[in-house]
Amino acid sequence: MAELAVSVRPLGVLAAEVRKGLLTQLAHPLGHVVGLVVGMGMYLGLQFVMGQGALRADLLPPTLVGICAYWFLQYSAMVMVADLVEEKRGGTFAQSQMSPAPAWLLMSGRLLTAAMFGLVIAIAAAAVPATIAGITVEWRSSVIVPAVLLVLDSLAFTFVLAAVALRTPMVGALQSLLTALILLLNGAFLPLALYPDWLAAVARLLPTTLGIEAVGQALFGGLSLAELWSTGALPWLAAHTAVLAVGGGLLFAHNHRRAVRDGRLGQY
Amino acid sequence: MNTPAIEITGLSKRYGPTAPPAVDDVSLSVEPGCVFGFLGPNGAGKTTTIKIAAGLLSPTAGRVALNGCDVATRRSAAMAQFGAVLEGSRNVYWNLSAWQNLIYFGRLKGMPKAAAASRASDLLTELDLWERRDEKVGGFSRGMQQKVAIAAALIADPSIVLLDEPTLGLDVEATRTVKKWIATLSADQGKTILLTTHQLDVVEELCDRVAVIRKGKVVTDLPTGELLAGFRRRDVYDVHIEGDPALPELPEGFTVAHGEETTTISGQVADPLEIYRLLDRLREHRVVLRSLAQVQPGLEDVFLSLVEEARHG
Repeated sequence: MAELAVSVRPLGVLAAEVRKGLLTQLAHPLGHVVGLVVGMGMYLGLQFVMGQGALRADLLPPTLVGICAYWFLQYSAMVMVADLVEEKRGGTFAQSQMSPAPAWLLMSGRLLTAAMFGLVIAIAAAAVPATIAGITVEWRSSVIVPAVLLVLDSLAFTFVLAAVALRTPMVGALQSLLTALILLLNGAFLPLALYPDWLAAVARLLPTTLGIEAVGQALFGGLSLAELWSTGALPWLAAHTAVLAVGGGLLFAHNHRRAVRDGRLGQY
Repeated sequence: MNTPAIEITGLSKRYGPTAPPAVDDVSLSVEPGCVFGFLGPNGAGKTTTIKIAAGLLSPTAGRVALNGCDVATRRSAAMAQFGAVLEGSRNVYWNLSAWQNLIYFGRLKGMPKAAAASRASDLLTELDLWERRDEKVGGFSRGMQQKVAIAAALIADPSIVLLDEPTLGLDVEATRTVKKWIATLSADQGKTILLTTHQLDVVEELCDRVAVIRKGKVVTDLPTGELLAGFRRRDVYDVHIEGDPALPELPEGFTVAHGEETTTISGQVADPLEIYRLLDRLREHRVVLRSLAQVQPGLEDVFLSLVEEARHG
């Protein structure tokens, strides 16, 4: 019998993964809506407390960038990790791996879904408090590069968690711990300038912190791309993103190989 | 000579350096269009073999080729040759509709969207699921979910289908539907099917060839008819007697089963005269004979006998 011709259609595979991921997430929309409303309320409430009974105009815009970045990271990581754990347990992950498409392409589709979902949630999460508090931000083109790097940095972190999810279902606990730490330290509640130096240094090791700083410097400090580069904000952010991405890729490849060796693609 | 649809050569798998082999030097060759039954007790190595064939598990030694494509070295080509339904697995997304599942898996197999849609329409119509195509699979009965899983495995019209316990947990009607469909896939569409199941009637009814595996080793690999005929050459008798009387000494290997009003003595004899001698001894003990029947062994008897023989080395 003649073998079937193999022609993987990368765009088709990506589109299918994204569509499936979005449909799966939107099957239970109420949980997302409640989480978002609670999160936005918590953010505004904390800003109100820290402003000693008022929403402070000097604190709100930079922390809004921080909360926006946090929501993006939190939701993209949650979509990626929760889906992966559920699918590994249910067996659909193994079924999807019996595709002529390479594993990295399938994972890219999942990452794209996570990014789209995270982006929608982040924009909504930032727009509502911004409207309530009457915040306006002047657009600057120099923000594009650091913002893109901020997104990539968050997705690289999500990919690291996905690689861990291939190995253990306990990744949910790790995700909760790390995202809580990121929320506390990345500048979402307090600008980094208000931290002691040692804490600021620790915070800069976490995903999103360097990105939030760079975006803030471009958006509120009016720094150009060249200035962002010369201050070190952009190179450090690019390096952080690259290290996370390479680390995530290597860890994913290792854990995928191990799962195939141990027969654990469809179970833990 | 045709390239075998499925060729397994010297396949071994250990889950750890000190673990016993889950699969031990298994070699099988399945011709195109064959329905191949893969039998064995729990933990014999059936699912491990299927997972290796499906590229979900790497072997410790040996190779699997699907339509000539080595699963390890030509993975992408090999993945395009088959569809699979795995045991103990959802296989499809319960949050998606039957239609969405089929399109998704079709796209993953590399199909253009229009081709996937056309094929999905045909499959859902054939399986009487067209009217419910937009409902979430999670709301379907177990039998309907299994139909969707089989349809998803067939979406790209592969020439090889791997079915690991496809009728497990299904009711009688759903089992009949799945059996009928497997028969159609082979007879009308010429697909090669590797089937594992514990339901031996399914194997007896559908399979052209049967391999029995125990403790990772293949203990027999024969056409179904030949396997059964070999066993039918031995005479197996059931002697039904009234009540539960004291019995004389029985020939070696004979078993006794007590019913409500009768007792059944069963066993195999190499020489038919042995059964006459047994009847004489029963008469001497004033045992009332109800009936005597020569029994044709079914696949279940053959399977149990082979597993028992392998156990005793």
